[in-house]
Amino acid sequence: MNDLNPPQDGPAEPALPPETPMDAGSQALAEALRSSFTIVKVVMVLLVLVFLSSGLFTVGPEQRAILLRFGKAQGQGEKALLLPGLHWSLPYPIHEHKLVSVGGLQQVSSTVGWYAQTPEQMLAGIEPPTGGTLNPIADGYVMTADDNIIHSRATLTYRITDPIRYVFSFLNASNTVQSLLDNALVHAAASFKVDDVLTRDVAGFQDEVRRRAMQLVEAQELGITVEQCAVQSVPPRQLKDAFASVLKAEVMRSKVLNEARSNENQVTNRAGADAESIINLAQSDRARLVSDVAAQAQRFEEILPQYQRHPGLFEQQRLTETLGRVLTNVQDKIFLTESPNGQAKQLRLLLNRELPKPKAEETKP
Amino acid sequence: MKRNPLTLVIGLLLIVVFGLLLFVFQVRQSEVAVVTTFGNPTRRITEPGAYLKWPWPIQKVWWFDQRVQNFEDRLTEGLTRDSFNLLTSVYVGWRVSDPAAFFPRFAGSAEPIAAAEALLDQWLSNAKTAVVGRHPLGDFLSTTDNGASFVNIEKEILDTIRSQLQTNNFGLEIRFLGIKRLLLPESVSQSVFDRMTSERKVLADRSQYEGEAEAQRIRSDAERKAAEVLADAQGQATAIKGQGEAEAAKSLKVFQQNPDLASFIFRLSALEDSLKERSTLIFDQHTPPFDLFRGVSTNLMTK
Repeated sequence: MNDLNPPQDGPAEPALPPETPMDAGSQALAEALRSSFTIVKVVMVLLVLVFLSSGLFTVGPEQRAILLRFGKAQGQGEKALLLPGLHWSLPYPIHEHKLVSVGGLQQVSSTVGWYAQTPEQMLAGIEPPTGGTLNPIADGYVMTADDNIIHSRATLTYRITDPIRYVFSFLNASNTVQSLLDNALVHAAASFKVDDVLTRDVAGFQDEVRRRAMQLVEAQELGITVEQCAVQSVPPRQLKDAFASVLKAEVMRSKVLNEARSNENQVTNRAGADAESIINLAQSDRARLVSDVAAQAQRFEEILPQYQRHPGLFEQQRLTETLGRVLTNVQDKIFLTESPNGQAKQLRLLLNRELPKPKAEETKP
Repeated sequence: MKRNPLTLVIGLLLIVVFGLLLFVFQVRQSEVAVVTTFGNPTRRITEPGAYLKWPWPIQKVWWFDQRVQNFEDRLTEGLTRDSFNLLTSVYVGWRVSDPAAFFPRFAGSAEPIAAAEALLDQWLSNAKTAVVGRHPLGDFLSTTDNGASFVNIEKEILDTIRSQLQTNNFGLEIRFLGIKRLLLPESVSQSVFDRMTSERKVLADRSQYEGEAEAQRIRSDAERKAAEVLADAQGQATAIKGQGEAEAAKSLKVFQQNPDLASFIFRLSALEDSLKERSTLIFDQHTPPFDLFRGVSTNLMTK
């Protein structure tokens, strides 16, 4: 503002000394002109200041800026990027800046393979009512290698690594990324069988989508790095029951198999135990037999001398002694005398008779 | 009145700025431009920077965004070689590559980009119908060649469009193209559903039967194994008993010293063993020691 003083005084000083007589009218006109010039000058200087300070701009923490001089980016690659902070550029026709958000992850979703769902429904997780058929205009789906129809959607997360390409080579780069993801999904589905996509090889399918999406992104040099790719697939809602029945059958099958396997364990374990006990029994039999015979042999050797002295007496004595001992154990002893005529008497026995049941107990009450 | 130098400077500066605005124009990195002199395109600019021109109405500058545009065409129906009705929709990455060629075709319309896309849409529709008709459905959907023939189909569509662009120089360039939707007409999708349902039924039945058969096999396997184990054990047991008998036989040599006594002892011990449990014995007078009763008249019965 100091600049303002000399111009103010400048015209005033030379006007005073000549003392030229002036009429009142021209003096008033000069005054008016002078003051209006002053105003114009102030405005001009202000304009210049505004003009110069309009070049100030800030770059946010998650942003980078690209400075264009006469429309051309200054520098190549990383050098062209202005870091977060306050920056100054010359006014429009000379310099121009463009802010790009690089921090954080960008995300695109492919819904070409999903049934019609409004964004509100998607957020709330509500499924729209199921129609009988799929309207190709509204409902998306993908076709699998075995000519089946399934729904599948993918979400790709990426980071902008080359903002110059991302901003200056593509009008709407995120749309392009989405299209590439759509294409990756359609392609991956077209080379996978329905059961692989849904159950058998879910991870493989996801990897394939990711692989193809990355390949397409790299081929077009979009200036991004793919961070993550998540794929979700479901059978058509119209066929929910049919798909569920297969799942149920598989669960049943594994249940039946598990039962059979536990039965197998039981049977083989029991057989093993039985086998062991048979062998143990045989071993104890063997031990017993051997020791029995050995004991008898020893006894034989002991009594042999006695026997040899009086065989008849020995035998008689032993037999009688044994019978006496044995007969104390015998429950029923029946002695048959010979009838006087010398013939044997007849004796009739009822064997295995059962005791008559006490009939009284049945009739009493 | 004496002129102040600063005023002069500012005035000159303003004049220069005004002059620059009239005579200079800039082309951004994202743009291409064409300069027309009295309406005729005379200069094409594809590099960013500042350029000079005569002020309007002598020369005029037209800028076009040269970045890759992402265009998606509408779904069109086409018959495959094996007569399947397929609905396809593609995306195209295209850009204005030659503003001088682009300008005369499209600058007349209010929105040159939209006009160009309308033209692309029409060409794409024809190209898709032609290319889809050359391929069977199996080229789109197959597990065998890792999707190579599908990629080929896209390439054929792209080549068709590119050759069309070459014959009509419209200043457009197609960078990439891909199928983003591959669908069936609504009526066909219903019959696909029917087929899928029956496939599911077959699968469900199969896994049920397979499960049962497998379980049966496991069970009978287990029975067989158990029987084997038991038979093996029986065999071992017999062998062990045989060993025992062989060992016992060594002791039997002792008995050979007096077979009469041995036989007597064996009979005695057999008699003893057989009468251990509850038993009933019937004697006559000849059995010792009851032969003592002989001649005694009695009907003695002992319990």
